[in-house]
Amino acid sequence: MKKLLSVVLVLALILGMTACGGSQTSTTAPAAPAAPAAPAAPAAPAAPAEPAAPAAPKTDFPQRSIDMTILFGAGGAADLVGRLLADKASAILGQPIVCNNRKGGGGAVGYQYVLGTDPDGYNICWNSTSINVVYHQGNMEQDYSAFKGVAMITKEASCLAIKAGDSRFSTLDEFVAYAKDHPGELSIGNSGIGSFNHLVAAALCDELGIEVNHVPLDANESTTALLGGQIDAMMNMALDVIQQVRGGEMTALVLIGGNGSEQLPGVKTMKQLGYNLDLTMWRGITVPAGTPQEVVDVLEDAFLQAAADPEFLSFCAENGVEVAPMGGDDFDALMASDDQLVADIMVKIGLKQ
Amino acid sequence: MLAHLIEGFSLAFTLTNIFWMLVGTILGMIFASIPGLTFSTALVIMIPFTFGMDNVSAIAVLIGIFSGGMSGGAISAVLLGIPGTPSAAATVLDGYPMAQKGQAPKALGMAVVASVFGGIFSLIVLMLVAEPVARVALKIGNAEQFALVVFGMSIIVSLSESSMAKGLLAGFAGILVTTIGLDPVMAFQRYTFGITALQSGIDIMPVMIGAFAMPEVIETFWRVRTGRPTGEVKLAEGEKVRTAFPSLKEMKECMRTLIVSSAIGTGIGAIPGTGGPISCFIAYDRAKKRNPEVGTGVMEGIAAPEAANNAVTGGAMIPLLTLGIPGDSSTAIMLGAFMIHGLAPGPLLFQNNGGLVYAIYISMVIVYLLVLILQFYGIKLFVKVLDIPRIYLMMFILLMVIVGSFAVHLNYVDIIIAFIFGVIGYFMKRFGIPTTPLILGIVLGGIIEKNFRKALVISKGSYLTFVTRPVSLLFLVLAVIMIVRPAISAARKRSKAAAES
Repeated sequence: MKKLLSVVLVLALILGMTACGGSQTSTTAPAAPAAPAAPAAPAAPAAPAEPAAPAAPKTDFPQRSIDMTILFGAGGAADLVGRLLADKASAILGQPIVCNNRKGGGGAVGYQYVLGTDPDGYNICWNSTSINVVYHQGNMEQDYSAFKGVAMITKEASCLAIKAGDSRFSTLDEFVAYAKDHPGELSIGNSGIGSFNHLVAAALCDELGIEVNHVPLDANESTTALLGGQIDAMMNMALDVIQQVRGGEMTALVLIGGNGSEQLPGVKTMKQLGYNLDLTMWRGITVPAGTPQEVVDVLEDAFLQAAADPEFLSFCAENGVEVAPMGGDDFDALMASDDQLVADIMVKIGLKQ
Repeated sequence: MLAHLIEGFSLAFTLTNIFWMLVGTILGMIFASIPGLTFSTALVIMIPFTFGMDNVSAIAVLIGIFSGGMSGGAISAVLLGIPGTPSAAATVLDGYPMAQKGQAPKALGMAVVASVFGGIFSLIVLMLVAEPVARVALKIGNAEQFALVVFGMSIIVSLSESSMAKGLLAGFAGILVTTIGLDPVMAFQRYTFGITALQSGIDIMPVMIGAFAMPEVIETFWRVRTGRPTGEVKLAEGEKVRTAFPSLKEMKECMRTLIVSSAIGTGIGAIPGTGGPISCFIAYDRAKKRNPEVGTGVMEGIAAPEAANNAVTGGAMIPLLTLGIPGDSSTAIMLGAFMIHGLAPGPLLFQNNGGLVYAIYISMVIVYLLVLILQFYGIKLFVKVLDIPRIYLMMFILLMVIVGSFAVHLNYVDIIIAFIFGVIGYFMKRFGIPTTPLILGIVLGGIIEKNFRKALVISKGSYLTFVTRPVSLLFLVLAVIMIVRPAISAARKRSKAAAES
């Protein structure tokens, strides 16, 4: 009897284990397999999904859940916007979109994963300008053309910020003047070597004609380091700066791209100040090249629709992310032109491999 | 403040919220007790389901996972000798020997009580002095973190039971492992051999699962093959009926350890970028310095790491709530959830949503009460695992090694890594090299290099930054003392013995 009991127990444990293993991924649709620990939990709160039929369906795609690779860690800017978008798109497609953080190598790990899957539309990538950077840095064999653009969704601008109440400078002009008087003394934190913010910071200093010490940190570390007084300024996505500016901890000096942000009133862009610098980071959905066009069309429709969802729009507006939807073919062209731009900057700052 | 407190109570104390806390706590405990699935995973899974909830419910379920999860890592650490989360790595050191002695319920009981103690302690600190603590924590920059980790390295000394050389060997091997992948500053590929999966480095989870679980599996299978007894673990007489929670007398004995460990956990938790594993090793080391019996399977050896790793939960909430800076991956996910619900952690949160802040505090208290209740009944169930004949248990563990290491990143390379480190771990055991310093090396290695190099970039290449910054200097001096002192006292003993003979 006791032996029987223990065998049953082992079986139960194994079952529990494997079920848990499968649910490591997070699902964004109500139909998705629930985590075994809380069978009652997931069904209730998820938004009801009314599958809206995509326009002129020539294909029966999608028949099962779609795997979306997020290139960066959970909780970051890329992750948040991507997950919310996936949640909206899955309601439109009628199939769950499962978001997986496959981080590492500045995006290379996630890119390789997606490129290693069948080009059937069931593996999509929440892509960004990092595709250009990773390639030119020499950490990936394929470049942007290994992917087919589905839909560009957002554009984000970087923002140069200093600690509020810095006695040395409080405006961009004062910052530049100080930097010119003390060449190489100021430290600007960025989000890591070769990160978009590193490129932008380097391009900014080049344009302003100042010499600084670029410190490769990450989005959170640079906030900590700036508030802790270890660095003098940071280049970070506007999303990460806005909260600190509102809280009175930081002062935003200038935005590097876009048309200004409502969430950062009075902060000019470089272009508005008359400089020749306008760089934004795009994020969008891509699939491996070779995916059938009709599948791409279904995805494109769904994601463009999702990008118009009021909840998605208000989240983005609240956090300084510009929603700028763009179809697949225009997106391909943008990736190509950005590739040249990124390559030029990387040559300039000596990162091009 | 009183108005906020009342508002917080009314926000937190609804049936829906308590239901979600219960769901979160159970989910966190289960995920944390299964090696390979951490509570960070549970947090990520839960996020989409919080989209449709109201603010307080969403935060309640996440806090349940976070706090419940921290306390759940001890279960498999004690019963199977495999830490469920990296934060429970130090719990194995005394928890597993206690289970071998037949005191598994007692060990688990202490782990729960210490967890709740640590959690509540950190919560009190969070409520009373969050703002000043956060300001101090901000001053802990890269140079200070480097020095803190060097201080942490000195713990290898107390983890090397028999031979210092063997302990150092394992510790430095661990640091070496962390050099695999893209380097943390220049993103240059090191030892990746063209394998893309290695670019993200070797994750601690598969290494830990392999190194802790596989040696036992191999040993048991070998014993069965050669027809030797497999060494069944039996509960000691009387253990089954007695309540699992420690008695008042036992609590009294451990009180000092509990308080010191909770303080260590809260302090380290408040420093962005350090996290649970370091704090529990440092707390364990403090306990061992005071009571040399720690390491042989005593209550204090469980109380220290478990109080410390749960104190990290409140500690990590300090920079998150006051400044909007997440200290580790779990709080980063929580920050994301806050933002999706239109709440911006930071100074404004206290002004605009004071009631909500108190609702968070109260939720944390309720979650810890739930942990206490659930574990009280749970322990009796968990220890049944020990009734499974060892050979079946080992087969289950082997399966767990495979599934658990795969589940970390859904990557088959991690299974291979777990097996490689399993074999390494087996031979380390055969040659009497302790495995815990290896894990400590991996935990600290990545942080030590990253902070060392970033501190140098910030100081524009001047090494003086490590000694001119006072906090950094303090930690370095402490580290030197920790390393040199045992050597001096050993030399003294030797000369004394020589003089006597």
